[in-house]
Amino acid sequence: MIPWTEKYRPKRVSEVVGNKEAVESFLSWAKQWSAGKPSKKAALLYGPAGVGKTSLVLAYANENGLDVVEVNASDFRTAEKVEQIVGLASQQATITGLRKRIILVDEVDGLAGKEDVGGVSALLKVITNTRVPIVLVANNPWDQRLAGLREKAQLIEFKRIHKATVVSHLKKICAAEGLKCSDEVLKEIADRSNGDLRSAINDLQAIAATGTISRETLNVLGYRLRDREIFSALAAAFNAKSVRDGRLALEGLDMDLQSFYQWVFDNTPEQISDIDALAEALERLARADMHLQRTTRLQRWGLMKYVTPLITTGVAAAKHKAPTKFAKFSFPSKIRFMSNTRNDREMRERIATKIAAKCHLSTSKAWREILPFIAFIFSHNGAKARGMAKFFDFDKSEVSYLSSGLKSSKK
Amino acid sequence: MAVEERLVGELPWIEKYRPKTLDEMVDQEEVVRTLKNILQTKQVPHMLFAGPPGTGKTASAHAFARELYGPNYLTEGLFVEINASDERGIQTIREKVKMYARSVPFGPIGFRILLLDESDQLTDDAQHAFRRTMEQFSATCRFILVANYSNRIIEPIQSRCAVLRFRPLPRDKVIEHLGKIAKNEGLNISSAALEAIYDFSEGDMRKSINILQAAASISRDVDEKTIYQVIGYVSRGEVRRLLELGLSGKISEARDLLRELLYLQGVAPSDLLTAIYREVGQLDISEEDKVEILDALGEADFRIAEGGTPEIQILALVSKLARKMRKTR
Repeated sequence: MIPWTEKYRPKRVSEVVGNKEAVESFLSWAKQWSAGKPSKKAALLYGPAGVGKTSLVLAYANENGLDVVEVNASDFRTAEKVEQIVGLASQQATITGLRKRIILVDEVDGLAGKEDVGGVSALLKVITNTRVPIVLVANNPWDQRLAGLREKAQLIEFKRIHKATVVSHLKKICAAEGLKCSDEVLKEIADRSNGDLRSAINDLQAIAATGTISRETLNVLGYRLRDREIFSALAAAFNAKSVRDGRLALEGLDMDLQSFYQWVFDNTPEQISDIDALAEALERLARADMHLQRTTRLQRWGLMKYVTPLITTGVAAAKHKAPTKFAKFSFPSKIRFMSNTRNDREMRERIATKIAAKCHLSTSKAWREILPFIAFIFSHNGAKARGMAKFFDFDKSEVSYLSSGLKSSKK
Repeated sequence: MAVEERLVGELPWIEKYRPKTLDEMVDQEEVVRTLKNILQTKQVPHMLFAGPPGTGKTASAHAFARELYGPNYLTEGLFVEINASDERGIQTIREKVKMYARSVPFGPIGFRILLLDESDQLTDDAQHAFRRTMEQFSATCRFILVANYSNRIIEPIQSRCAVLRFRPLPRDKVIEHLGKIAKNEGLNISSAALEAIYDFSEGDMRKSINILQAAASISRDVDEKTIYQVIGYVSRGEVRRLLELGLSGKISEARDLLRELLYLQGVAPSDLLTAIYREVGQLDISEEDKVEILDALGEADFRIAEGGTPEIQILALVSKLARKMRKTR
């Protein structure tokens, strides 16, 4: 069986899902190449996993009849290897009779982690002399050792795919496969994918394979299929004895640090029963939260490196100060909580927005200060409720939500 | 029943009894006097209205604008409300300000008034950006900033504003006003019930009126019991329960409740911290331990203001409390 991620990989650039801006800048860079005068000879596509970086290149090549020379940067052991593989390919295109080609170098950030930094400078040399377009792909291009590449390449950022876009793409696949799948389940898959379309498609296929697509299958099966990797990373994190162990725990894990943080944070109270140790672990997690928030708020990616030691080795050290009991790791309860309360929260927000519009206050204030009183009136006095519904322009579902005392029809 | 009410349905009383003129304001004599002076001279400065919730800040801004521009002050776009906590970031706020402040309005008064509600929700960076906006548009626009705590407003903004302080409403004034509303609504309310409302709302008129209206939805005769029924419904003592869970070491349950409070009930993190602050004094621990807990509370407060995740910072705080309690036992 072919993986759906391959089966539904875009054949044309117009089929690439999301990231319109990135697609545009890639096309204009490629256009410079076909006009023969690229301002930068390489493009560096970067962003989280599964958002279409490689797919864009493949679709473009397919549409324009180019051969793709695909190499994985983490295979480069030495500078010679780089020249041998990429260097050769970058020169041959001019020989008449050959189809034009494009070189795709994946996992460029893998180069930064290698001891032999020679790989980066060799790649730089290849870019300077290349006669064919070179596309570099990376998740995180901000390592210092990649500074030279960043300068030489056109930087093109890919962002996580919007949830609604993921859902509508999953719908298309369902239609093509003749699958019946409720919006609710698709939304949940999209939610978990965290903007990673590839993983969403993988999840959908995994669930479809069980025959029934329902929220229950999703709960039982979905997490396990996808998260085997994360459980072993968690085990390694909670047992990291050195800073190095902590770093290794995360190696190869296809997940951003923010999400991994959530996994650690939500498992900590269950993993550590001694209150002293737990307080210490939570304080370290709280410190790590500050580093994480500053990283994103100030766009200072360099601050990110302070997070991992705290949430792995730091938490593990606290844990091992007291005898531990065995507890299973589980899926982050926060994500489950948010998805279970989604209907509730959406309803409250809609109602609060209507209240805010009439009562001169913010939605958040209306939510916490006015809504409970309105709900009280609605659940105690039908006549007044009707009058108020008219004033606030509440619709039927909002009225019934308020009248039931803020209990959503679904749990 | 008011004509208006028959047309649009049952009004929330906080709207129905919102003061239309400065003279109708409850208490706040000094603020009212200052605003009246400004009305006479028509020299309107930028202003910062600071004070606890439900003391008439937004209401007096509306009353002021109505007296300055006339009854159509809202529909003519002369007075515009922007809510800092609803707008995503300073950029959106600036766009909005630009939109309104670009032109000089018709009429004798050559500027609009922009009310920036909950302005203490803006981060320091956003406030600095907003300060430039204030300067840029001061020819066509006056700003009224509304905040609970003036110390959360950066100095450069404070120094450009006339700062008007709203004091907590005194018990007798709140009770008198509630009595008037009750009479007008044909309620039969006991004085013990009025006292109970004040005890719970602590001078917050919005909350007081909301309680009264909710109580009136059960019965025309309102006594203490009716009031407690309302209070029990809207506030189920969750902060105390959160602390109890934390103190007995049930951290994962505390976390679940914390999520319920923050994400479902929409409780503001700063309100949670204030409530915890109040409870610390009652705890059965040494005074030195209390000092350390208050220090940790201050740290959590600061971190949240710095962008830390409230759920994470508060849970870490609760676990510190639990640790102290265990040491004591």
